[in-house]
Amino acid sequence: MMFEFLQRTLEGLLEAGPYALIGLGLTIGFGVLRRVNLAFGAAALLAAYLGSWLHFRWGLPAFAVWLAVIGSTVLVGLYAEWVCYNSFDKSTMGVRRLISVFGILDAKEASVIAASFALWMQLEQIAVNFQPSHLHPFPDLSSNSYFFWGSFSLRPDRLSAFIFSLGLISAVALWLHKSRAGLGLRAFSDSHAAAQMCGMNTSHLRYIGTTLSYTICGIASCVVLSMDGQVTPMFGMWVLLKGMTCALLGGLGSLRGVLGGAMLLGITESHAQSLWGPIGRDAATWALLLLALVNQARQNSYPINSAGVQYE
Amino acid sequence: MLEIEEIACSYGKIEALRKVSLQANAKEVTCLLGPNGAGKTTLMMTLAGILKPTQGDIKFEGQSLIGLSPSEIVQRGLALVPENRLVFPALTVRENLMAGAYLRKDRAGVANDIEQQLNRFPRLLERIDQPAGTLSGGEQQMLALGRALMSRPRLLLMDEPSVGLAPKVVAEIFGIIRKLHQEGTSIFLVEQNVHMAMKVAQHFYLLQQGHITFSGTPEQLAHDDLVHRAYLAGKSASH
Repeated sequence: MMFEFLQRTLEGLLEAGPYALIGLGLTIGFGVLRRVNLAFGAAALLAAYLGSWLHFRWGLPAFAVWLAVIGSTVLVGLYAEWVCYNSFDKSTMGVRRLISVFGILDAKEASVIAASFALWMQLEQIAVNFQPSHLHPFPDLSSNSYFFWGSFSLRPDRLSAFIFSLGLISAVALWLHKSRAGLGLRAFSDSHAAAQMCGMNTSHLRYIGTTLSYTICGIASCVVLSMDGQVTPMFGMWVLLKGMTCALLGGLGSLRGVLGGAMLLGITESHAQSLWGPIGRDAATWALLLLALVNQARQNSYPINSAGVQYE
Repeated sequence: MLEIEEIACSYGKIEALRKVSLQANAKEVTCLLGPNGAGKTTLMMTLAGILKPTQGDIKFEGQSLIGLSPSEIVQRGLALVPENRLVFPALTVRENLMAGAYLRKDRAGVANDIEQQLNRFPRLLERIDQPAGTLSGGEQQMLALGRALMSRPRLLLMDEPSVGLAPKVVAEIFGIIRKLHQEGTSIFLVEQNVHMAMKVAQHFYLLQQGHITFSGTPEQLAHDDLVHRAYLAGKSASH
């Protein structure tokens, strides 16, 4: 019984690596850049479909498919930044006033959430029209073999993904704390207005942050899809759900937090799967997301309350 | 050094500044007085490039600042210490100081200047690795001032440095302003604490409802009936 519990915990822990990567990409967008962007998962879906098409229509090798997926995720992310934020600031005052009538959210923030939702739908529609069937193959790097660590069995592909994810998260953390642009991003996250007063080019920083966020999202997509060997139309929703849960559980904008959130999610899912099957696993994910949302609301720390917005 | 020519600034239909003209000379402390809502902070935000004026011109060392981004304005040599400090609360004291030198490329110079600020503000040295959000109001004011100085500004803009601070801390902050002036730093100061400002400033302006209504030396200020009634007499009585 105890052995079974520990085996499931270990499996859940290994699942946490890719989850943490997705959460990291999302927490940079939500927590650092203060962007509530619901199109995050849809960008990953569209890029994954493109990768699948390039591989099986044109025979591109796995590494080239990875590069194409990462690059196209970044491009779609920059498109989302432009549509939901830059052009929106200048051209949609009427819509923003209309939304502010409801008085629930700040008009600007409510408008960008609505815009990102519309973009999510748009990107998913493009992806589905581009590749209409349900299952799409992706370069498969998974392994069905196991090796043993004491009495515990481990899959080498999951372990590799976990180690790779931890390495990448550490590299991003190092970059954020040791580089000039990293300092700028963290300062920008703390106070937009103060960052401007220090001479930081906040538009430039925003694009650096967006590129970083979507690069990580693209890498995470490749890691996950290479282990599954396939893409389905649910992948976008899956990315958003897992990423949001990890990021919110760990406290938005926190790298350590996102890792903790991913571990909690991975371990909980693994036990739920073993006890109640796939439906139990999905229910556990949604329950954790709800818990994280309630906790975040109690702390009043959603990006929509961010300081400094008035100076943008 | 700084010439503001008929600057106007609005929030939608509300005019916050109406044809404001003033100037600040090099190596002097110029003080702008005014009640709440007069437009002082709007003027400072406009000087820093965060708000855009609807008309007029701002010249710094003979060159117009109109249309420049906040980043370009810092590069030209202006640095703002904002009202209510606006430090980066999650960053440490050292990182806040480094953020002030964001545009500088000389690493050795930046390291030297951090040492210099820590000598100037020894209380910051004690809290060097502490998040700025955990500092007291006075310490945050010192940090905001140190952060602004890290860009090596030729003109330091200070927006109500005494607001919300205990009298003892206010005296300390004004002591530092006096010292900065003695070292040759040019300062444009917005203040409501007239008594403290009179100890450091060489020229005063009074801004009321978006207009400049007084310009003169501390002596002229002390003898101006309107200013005396509104600020000096009232303030004296309240202490």
